[in-house]
Amino acid sequence: MSVFDKYLAGWRLRTSRPSFEVGSEVDIFIAESNGTSGRAYVGDTELIIEGAGPETIEKQVRVRVTEFDETTASGRGEFVEVVGESSYAE
Amino acid sequence: MSENGATAPGEDPSDQFIGGDNDEGPRVEFYGGRGMSAFPIAFFIVWAIIQTALWRIGDTGGLIVGILVGLILGMFFVRGNWKTYANTIFEGMTQPVAVTAIVAWIWAGMFAQLLQDGGFVGGLVWLADTAGVGATLFPAITFVLAAVFTTGIGTGYGASVAFVGLFFPAGILLGANPVLLFGAILSGAIFGDNLAPVSDTTIVSAVTQDADIGGVVASRFKYIIIAAAVAFVGYIVAGSSMDGLEISGEAQTIFLESSEAIGLVHVIPMLAVIGAAVAGRHIVEAISWGIVIAIAFNLIFGLASLGDIVMFNAPSDAPFAGPLESLPVLTVVDSADAVGVTGSLMSGVSGFFELSILVLLIIGAAQIMIRGGAFEVLLNWSLENLATNVRNAELTMVATAALINSIITINTAAEVAIGPYISKIGERFNLNGYRRANILDGQTAAMGYIFPWSGGVLAGYGAMQNLPGEYEWLDQAMLVTPIDVVPFVFQGWLLVAVFVIAALTGFGREYVTDRETEEVARV
Repeated sequence: MSVFDKYLAGWRLRTSRPSFEVGSEVDIFIAESNGTSGRAYVGDTELIIEGAGPETIEKQVRVRVTEFDETTASGRGEFVEVVGESSYAE
Repeated sequence: MSENGATAPGEDPSDQFIGGDNDEGPRVEFYGGRGMSAFPIAFFIVWAIIQTALWRIGDTGGLIVGILVGLILGMFFVRGNWKTYANTIFEGMTQPVAVTAIVAWIWAGMFAQLLQDGGFVGGLVWLADTAGVGATLFPAITFVLAAVFTTGIGTGYGASVAFVGLFFPAGILLGANPVLLFGAILSGAIFGDNLAPVSDTTIVSAVTQDADIGGVVASRFKYIIIAAAVAFVGYIVAGSSMDGLEISGEAQTIFLESSEAIGLVHVIPMLAVIGAAVAGRHIVEAISWGIVIAIAFNLIFGLASLGDIVMFNAPSDAPFAGPLESLPVLTVVDSADAVGVTGSLMSGVSGFFELSILVLLIIGAAQIMIRGGAFEVLLNWSLENLATNVRNAELTMVATAALINSIITINTAAEVAIGPYISKIGERFNLNGYRRANILDGQTAAMGYIFPWSGGVLAGYGAMQNLPGEYEWLDQAMLVTPIDVVPFVFQGWLLVAVFVIAALTGFGREYVTDRETEEVARV
């Protein structure tokens, strides 16, 4: 991204419920887990991530999207790997 | 519930999902709960409001007594060993951010005084008079110049000090409203503090949100420029409707006649400071270069003598005073009252002695609030109860960052303290590092320059105290009482408003899936 593009980025009204394509991979922070699956919010869009256990909470993980319903802004995905830490982690 | 224990989208699994727990127990315990650790700061704020707003006493010494009494009274609510309480005050006072602010004030104070004594104010008045800039436009132009200067040097506190010393008297003389003028200076400081890549708040906002500084600056430009455009128009409109002070016609004429273009030579040391800061030099080094060049110009162009810059006024019975009296920096005085060190360097720093002590004590009290848990109670409560969806989460980030920065005098310290919470709320909704850093720093810059106890206002007010001694026509009654400037810091209020609207509408919102910050992308 050029310097000029960086200044122009974000001049728009971004939805609170972004959608994802099935089959795509996204890197997102996991908010909660029930032990075997995790839940992540991207804005108000909710993704349930199979295989994201408690150790992934507040970590950034790679997720392969397997189902997505635009009307409810919710979907499911598979945990691929942990790719990053939270910026407030010690 | 599906076979593998996961929950299908659409069901409400809130009770099964458990979030992370980052709570650390408070280190100082208080009778009455963790909220009581906010007592010293709360007591000080009430004291400051009563003293400065209700009774109109701008005395910094009085505020020092206020925070001291608050700290002493707060100790009686401590459960267990009071030593921890005392140590926590020290822990707060010795933070580098507090000292950094003091250093910026003192260096900028000396620099501004050298320019002032070298006729820069006269030069400005001459230029404004020649260019036909009147009282109406002066605050708006001051805002733009203060914004440019601060963006160059990165310290809003330093810029407040320099501009109050230089543009404030010039504006008053030209008939601009003093309150509006002070507001315009603070607004310019906010603009630069928020945008400058070398500003400590910009750096803290980027670092705490794992974002690169270049990307943070570029992405926040949109919020800042919208607020600034409205603020600029605001200063023109207010400038045409708010009257200036009555300066005696004779004093004004005398000053105008003695105003010479040569004072404008001091634009060069100002540019040198900006250039050095932009080139990545430490702010102490950058302003020191400005000081050296300003001294050289004062001497070369005969704008001020060595004795004007620093003068030792020794008593006649001092053993080595008489023989060395021919030195240009030594004067033998008869009256005991006249003994002392005077000159630009001295008067430049003298306004900040009391202020420095006050700020250290406030930062100590803020540390009590953080270690005592009041801070965490507030933030955890807001995280659990307010941040229920992405819009509310962003509004919560704006509100908590604004609130904490309104309370803690030195905005960098407030930002360091609240940075992790902004990160926590934002990451929960996968807002990217730029958006989080921008929400954090917008409120940090804005709120650091609005209230009477804000570092930027205190710095500007400190510099203002020196002015009546500098100009015959300027008396104490012409100075601005800090509480009066609150509504006129347009850039600050507008910046907060822009972020509230941005949270409500999604303007500028970016998710981690839209764009990763570069630091993270590199990892």
